[in-house]
Amino acid sequence: MKNRTFAALAFATAVAVIAASRLIPNDYFFSAAYTVLQFIILATAWNILGGYTGYVNFGSAAFFATGAYSSVFLYKALHAPLVVMIVTGTLAAGLLGLAVGYLTLRMRGVFFAIATLALAVVLYTFVVNWDYVGGARGAYIIQPRVIPFGLPRYIHLLYSAMVLMTALALVIARAIETSTIGRGLAAIRDDELAAECAGVPTLRLKLFSATVSGALMGMAGTTFPYYLAYIEPSAAFSLSYAVNSIAMPLIGGMMSWVGPVIGAVLLGSVQQIVQVTISSAWNLLIVGVLLVAFVTLAPNGIMGWVDAWRRKRR
Amino acid sequence: MNRLTTWFTTGLIVFSLALVAPALAQQPLKIGFGMSLTGPLAGNGKAALIAMQIWAEDLNAKGGLLGRKVELVYYDDQTNPSTVPSIYNKLLDVDKVDLLVSGYGTNVIAPAMPIVMQRNMAFMGLFGLNVNSKFDYDRYFQIMPAGPEPAIGWTQGFFDIAMGLSPKPQTIALVGADAEYPALALEGARAQVKRTGLKVVYDKTYPPNTVDFSPIVRAIAATNADLVFVASYPPDSAGMVRAANEVGLKARMFGGGLVGPQFAALKTQLGPLLNGIVNYETYVPDVAGKFPFLEQFLAKYQGRAIREGVDPLGFYLPPYAYAMMQVLEQAIKATGGLDQAKLADYMHTYEFDTFVGKVRFAKNGEWAQPRMLTVQYHSVIGNDLEQWMRPGHVTVLYPASYATGTVKAPYQDNKK
Repeated sequence: MKNRTFAALAFATAVAVIAASRLIPNDYFFSAAYTVLQFIILATAWNILGGYTGYVNFGSAAFFATGAYSSVFLYKALHAPLVVMIVTGTLAAGLLGLAVGYLTLRMRGVFFAIATLALAVVLYTFVVNWDYVGGARGAYIIQPRVIPFGLPRYIHLLYSAMVLMTALALVIARAIETSTIGRGLAAIRDDELAAECAGVPTLRLKLFSATVSGALMGMAGTTFPYYLAYIEPSAAFSLSYAVNSIAMPLIGGMMSWVGPVIGAVLLGSVQQIVQVTISSAWNLLIVGVLLVAFVTLAPNGIMGWVDAWRRKRR
Repeated sequence: MNRLTTWFTTGLIVFSLALVAPALAQQPLKIGFGMSLTGPLAGNGKAALIAMQIWAEDLNAKGGLLGRKVELVYYDDQTNPSTVPSIYNKLLDVDKVDLLVSGYGTNVIAPAMPIVMQRNMAFMGLFGLNVNSKFDYDRYFQIMPAGPEPAIGWTQGFFDIAMGLSPKPQTIALVGADAEYPALALEGARAQVKRTGLKVVYDKTYPPNTVDFSPIVRAIAATNADLVFVASYPPDSAGMVRAANEVGLKARMFGGGLVGPQFAALKTQLGPLLNGIVNYETYVPDVAGKFPFLEQFLAKYQGRAIREGVDPLGFYLPPYAYAMMQVLEQAIKATGGLDQAKLADYMHTYEFDTFVGKVRFAKNGEWAQPRMLTVQYHSVIGNDLEQWMRPGHVTVLYPASYATGTVKAPYQDNKK
């Protein structure tokens, strides 16, 4: 399928999903779905740098928080509309991604991963000491009383925005995967030196990959302050974003855009269900057990397992 | 339809209603909340949950509320704000709870507020720090006794006592963690400094993951401040107190906003190192006479807390968690129903008689009058828990109506 056709289909599906969701009278669906969609974007974004390019990023929370805190800044400074917050947060996190891309000039493998972790710590410290956006005390972001498009509650708007952003993230991820850029990134992942020798513009591609990955992660965080109404650094920089954005593509499969979606839907839904059925204490255990199981039994994730099964059938 | 059929149908409907009505009456009255049962605040969350369960059992033993048994419907919020919106939406839309109360602490109360406000529900908060200052919701109430201006109410006792010293102190050092509560306490302390005219010789914060506090305390000691006000969470409270002892900090008063010494874990861990420190508490056995019904609650609580491995003293949060439910109970009984507007009106208008004393709410839903106890620890010997269950190791200094003695200064002369 051509990328344009896929894009049209993805956005049409998104609009249809939003319209169909209006028939659901239950707000629990919207808040649970918001969280799962947020993880789909994060996992998809992480996979562009981690899966396609082979650079493992442990600092997803930093990009997510950049998106969230740029929204807080715009709320405090201008009371900017949601769409402005989304665009600005995405650009800010993209710029941060570009900076991280330059790190790849000197660092690879575990060193790059540790550098991204350090980036999250540095940004956390910066936010904690930036009083304008709430600093250590956190900031209140009050949801507007007037909700556009005749939606009954603000969570419906946040959910709709999240559905559209998810569609955008998937379109971008698929477009990268199926283009020459995607093949270049795959070459970098397999052997960067060989790719460079073969004429692949590795630096440019890595910068592109890191920028897009960072921008999408930031985009996932832009609506988060409105979702919570109160944001403080430990919530925005939560380790769960870093852990889940790695675990989800690992479980779903890192070689294609579908893998992170499957991983995020599976893990995100399981976490939501476990939280209100068994006990939240089981959440992290489930993530851990699934990770160990997949790394051992299906190292290429669900998609890798499906591909292997298909090949066998042929 | 002929007459016989009409009578038969009517009879059938009446009969069905007669069968269904008692069943409806028997449906429990559901109270929903999220509570931190895992994560950093799990210790406090579990303790609060025990208190709320004791309340429900006590009430059900007396026949429940409005002729219905009370059922607590709760989920673990993992001390993670991002789980809160889902939990409260599920409580309302799937579990169909009749009433909502909050979990423990500001960061899980605030995310529930938009949902509560959209549904126009009365909402009791458990130890949130000035949450309503931004929401300005007229159906929000909060049970922590910090008063209508929590930052001020929290610090008032320390500063009033300090300014009562003779000669009057001139200088103060302010220190706290880069985190939500310490930031609020320091904000209050700075307002008090302005009011009292003290000179600030040190005003710094440290990252929440700090483990070595000696350099901080040495820097404070070098300023020779008359007063040292600390706003910290339990791990850093332990670090600050240990460092103050190691460095040999000299000050006329030390403490103020240490979170941790209210709980058995830190009381037993620090033991005699707490001697001389002036800090806040919400209840101590030395003022048991002022809380006539609390002993029986604590007896029930302490038995269960030991079994469940949570704070075995239960002085800080559990009595207030129980009182929060008592407020709700009394409002429901008085209004005779679950009309949220009537409940909120009643809670704004009347005083409540609870295990933690008389409670009246201010316009913003906080206590109308602050009642944080400012205390000084003394005569603590060894690290056993038993001594803390009896009076004799804590002097209540503030408020005056609860005072059991006066402050002993300087701090370094009272470390025994």
